[in-house]
Amino acid sequence: MSDENENRDMLICRCEEVTLGEILDAIDEGFVTVKDVKRATRAGMGLCQGRSCSRTIARIISERTGKSLEEVLPKSYRYPVRPEKMGAALSREGEDESNN
Amino acid sequence: MNRITDHPILGPLEEAEMVDIIVDGQVMQARKGEMIAAALMANGKNTFRKTVKREEPRGIYCGIGRCTDCVMTVNGIPNVRTCVTEVEEGMVIQTQIGSGEWQ
Amino acid sequence: MKRLKRDIVVIGSGPAGLCAAIEAARSGAAVLLVDENAKIGGQLFKQIHKFFGSADHRAGVRGIDIGEQLLRQAEELAVEVWLNCEACGIFDEKTVWMVRDKEHSVAVEAQRIIIATGAVENSINFPGWTLPGVMGAGAAQTMINIHRVLPGHRVLMVGSGNVGVIVSYQLLQAGATVAAIVEAAPNLGGYGVHTAKVRRAGVPFYTSHTVKEARGNGHVERAVLVKLDSQWNQVPGSEFEVEVDTICIATGLTPAVELAFGSGCRPFNSPPLGGLVPVHDRMMKSSIDSIYIAGDVSGVEEASTAMEEGRIAGLSAAHSLGTITDQMFAERLEQLQHNVDALRSGMFGQKRREAKDAIVRSYGVER
Repeated sequence: MSDENENRDMLICRCEEVTLGEILDAIDEGFVTVKDVKRATRAGMGLCQGRSCSRTIARIISERTGKSLEEVLPKSYRYPVRPEKMGAALSREGEDESNN
Repeated sequence: MNRITDHPILGPLEEAEMVDIIVDGQVMQARKGEMIAAALMANGKNTFRKTVKREEPRGIYCGIGRCTDCVMTVNGIPNVRTCVTEVEEGMVIQTQIGSGEWQ
Repeated sequence: MKRLKRDIVVIGSGPAGLCAAIEAARSGAAVLLVDENAKIGGQLFKQIHKFFGSADHRAGVRGIDIGEQLLRQAEELAVEVWLNCEACGIFDEKTVWMVRDKEHSVAVEAQRIIIATGAVENSINFPGWTLPGVMGAGAAQTMINIHRVLPGHRVLMVGSGNVGVIVSYQLLQAGATVAAIVEAAPNLGGYGVHTAKVRRAGVPFYTSHTVKEARGNGHVERAVLVKLDSQWNQVPGSEFEVEVDTICIATGLTPAVELAFGSGCRPFNSPPLGGLVPVHDRMMKSSIDSIYIAGDVSGVEEASTAMEEGRIAGLSAAHSLGTITDQMFAERLEQLQHNVDALRSGMFGQKRREAKDAIVRSYGVER
């Protein structure tokens, strides 16, 4: 990790453009799991759904609070786990006999 | 062009059918079946979008459809992952500004 | 909605999933193999280097050639393949919800599910890491070996593990210049053979160094490197610039566990294998009886181990459905486990073997 004070402006969540400073502030306010930080800052709430930044955020929380990665990482995931258009989720390929 | 035409293991680049894509109003040549991101980088375009808040340029990052950083507006649909979407003849591709707009 | 039914659904068609599907089909199960990409094979076809291992593992054969052989086998065995098909969730431990061609939802009821979703590259953060030109080493590898496009001409590689040195060498083969390889640790991380090839090509290695910053106007133009002390702190004043247009990140992989954990598989923390993984037994069964896992999602290793694990998962899943006799199962399982143990030997392998053993032990204890 680069120097914290120098790099507060550095992005951690690429999608929602959340900075290291915002994440550190959230941790200091008591948001100490990846899910909590997400709720507080929107980090991990963007298009990729935290795929790129969850692990980094977990490490930052762990370094700052001394909690283990296991404690801070999410253990459950919401469906869909891939980015989908709502239409695709609702449109069903129900009568596809050829695949039976 | 950034195409690897000759390769010590993979050999010479096979001839491919070419298709025209329209990128920010400009016609570019792409190999049929390749991913949009590959076609753009072959043509020297590395910036695919500008972000919502900071308006920063972004290009490919993970290259396998996970990070969603390479999204562009394709045929009027925003947020298309260009690293896992194949080019098609006449495809209209636009640098996405912010979260893009349905057209 | 009409429900489709299959004996076994395999999610992910990389080395593990492909081998799982083949082994299960060979064992007499009706297999559906799905992959989100337009092409089968996952990351196997960008592995243009020769694999390690014994002759049994086709050591010395390039990943792409192994991939071609596997595709032929899958075809001969009439494995059903759905591409452009994203598995979005698993319900009631049996039903896989998928979206095909980004358009239609399909639910397939499977008696057994094999999750082989692979891994995602880790990132490291430094000011400028979001500039175009900074990318995963895997992204660069896909660009050069699959798409035959150079992502840049002067590359800095961050990380000296196997991925870092192998992709560096492949960038050289593709015609790029690798300006340097930086490694935060005091020692190099990759296999000697791969490291030596890059070194012989004249690429400088900087151990105990990291990237402090990427600079450039709209695109990477240079990287600022900095020395790290024994406490991993940056040494002020030790900065220097390297002119590059591309920075590749090769700092490890994390198992892609969303589907597995979403479906209720119990997690186990295995730092040597990439972090949280679904706990599993030697037969690659997860904590849920109908769900098996294989490959990087079960702990990050190599394509060769992923293939053997895939075969074990496919075999076990098919056997649990009664498609082969106990004796056939036992004989083949022994052979496959022998193969996978052989791949987990030696200085690097031993660590992975111990980490795998810990996962298996945890399965037995808490189940």
